[in-house]
Amino acid sequence: MKYFLYWGCSLEASGVNYLRSLKPVSEALGMEFEEIPDWNCCGASVSYAGANDLAIKVLNARNLALAEKKADYDIIAPCSSCYIQMIKVNHEIQESESLQKQVNSILAEDGLVYNGSIRVRHIQDVFFNDVGIDQIRSRVTKPLNGLKVAGYVGCQSVRPYGEYDSVHNPVVQDRLLEALDAEPVPFPKKIQCCGSGIFLPEMDLCLGLVRDILDDAVLHGAEIISTVCPMCAMNLEMYQDRINETYGTDFDIPIIYLTQLMAVAFGMDLKKDAALHNNVIPPENILKAAIGN
Amino acid sequence: MEINKSYDPSFTREVFENVDSGKEIRMCMQCGMCAASCPLREHMDYPPRQIFSMIRAGKRDLVLNANSIMMCTSCYTCQVRCPRGIPVIDVMHGLAHYAISKGILTRKDTATFGREFWQQIYKTGRIDEKDLSRRYFFADGIVSGIKKSLEMARMGIIMLLHGRMKILPERKIKGIRSLRSMIDRAMQTGKGGTGA
Repeated sequence: MKYFLYWGCSLEASGVNYLRSLKPVSEALGMEFEEIPDWNCCGASVSYAGANDLAIKVLNARNLALAEKKADYDIIAPCSSCYIQMIKVNHEIQESESLQKQVNSILAEDGLVYNGSIRVRHIQDVFFNDVGIDQIRSRVTKPLNGLKVAGYVGCQSVRPYGEYDSVHNPVVQDRLLEALDAEPVPFPKKIQCCGSGIFLPEMDLCLGLVRDILDDAVLHGAEIISTVCPMCAMNLEMYQDRINETYGTDFDIPIIYLTQLMAVAFGMDLKKDAALHNNVIPPENILKAAIGN
Repeated sequence: MEINKSYDPSFTREVFENVDSGKEIRMCMQCGMCAASCPLREHMDYPPRQIFSMIRAGKRDLVLNANSIMMCTSCYTCQVRCPRGIPVIDVMHGLAHYAISKGILTRKDTATFGREFWQQIYKTGRIDEKDLSRRYFFADGIVSGIKKSLEMARMGIIMLLHGRMKILPERKIKGIRSLRSMIDRAMQTGKGGTGA
């Protein structure tokens, strides 16, 4: 199973533990990746301040065109902002001949053209639908033995199209957690936004959003929170101190990428493959207790 | 109350012609699902439903100066719930872009952050998180830059120590020159751009 992996800017910096764990886990599941040559940023969710809609469409169309030129693999965008930008522009181009023409007339500046043949996927979609729960379960050598995990879906990883999961009541992450023998706890805030890309400039407002999410997860018995988005991971993990100072709470709950949990359950190296040393709130003790090490 | 005053459609026309996705508000039936769905609703002066209504009523200043148009976290909750299928987020982003291009910076920090973000894409083709934060902190000058940096210094050091920061500066993508000319053309020919 070959795919393009469009990991984007965050997964080389604040989301490095996502990319580090995603690669060995995917490889173990028989997936192979190619990089989109000379890819550019997707524009994320704040570029509108400087860019118009067409400029943001062109950013994503360039990546799609570069991929299409090289091979006909699906593109996996593990960062939810990359995913939403790319899948949205892809659909819009596929559904409108006039937009496709307009975008292609601009891509022609570099001799590029996008014919609309590529599919954009989220990593959860590929794990769930292409690899499958049974295959994932069969790779587990260190089951998580009922570890209570809050599978925090966030917002952009399933929206706006809901191609592989419900946009209102997503279940795929929970099914993947169950395959690792973890126990996903139900918590209503699992699809509430954490503030995403405007967290930093709107911190006073967004701290409250994250407090509510953490509070809800803890209240429902979670020992650890899993995520599939670098913004979610950043906002939920890095600001717990500040939230505690602001609201008098005492949060100290590890935030972990789903792929890191998979690496642990697959019995892989906790540092090299699971990249647990990159986590600021250490998850090692909780995980070691769960797998019985 | 001025009951004899008729609606002034000029602002509605301005929005339809110049704002990306502006025409989409025609489908709005004022149900308020967007307002109820927004994570930051309690901080908004006018939620999307009211913004759309005020566009129809010609309330130009109120709409373009509303804090809500620059407060969207892009979570798509309103959009997936809208019973009329309005791309609410696209409209809010379009309005924010239009207001900012007119020099209106109601949520100044967010507007600055977004513009620095975009400028960095234009410069290198990618985002360098540490450089973006630095530029954002120092956008208002050196004094407030130092203050903001100090406030965030502890988190920065923690991220650095945990390998969550890219040490080397981001290099330009190979096709940066053609990417820039593509962007320039898109900005001139698209709505809400410099050529609009």
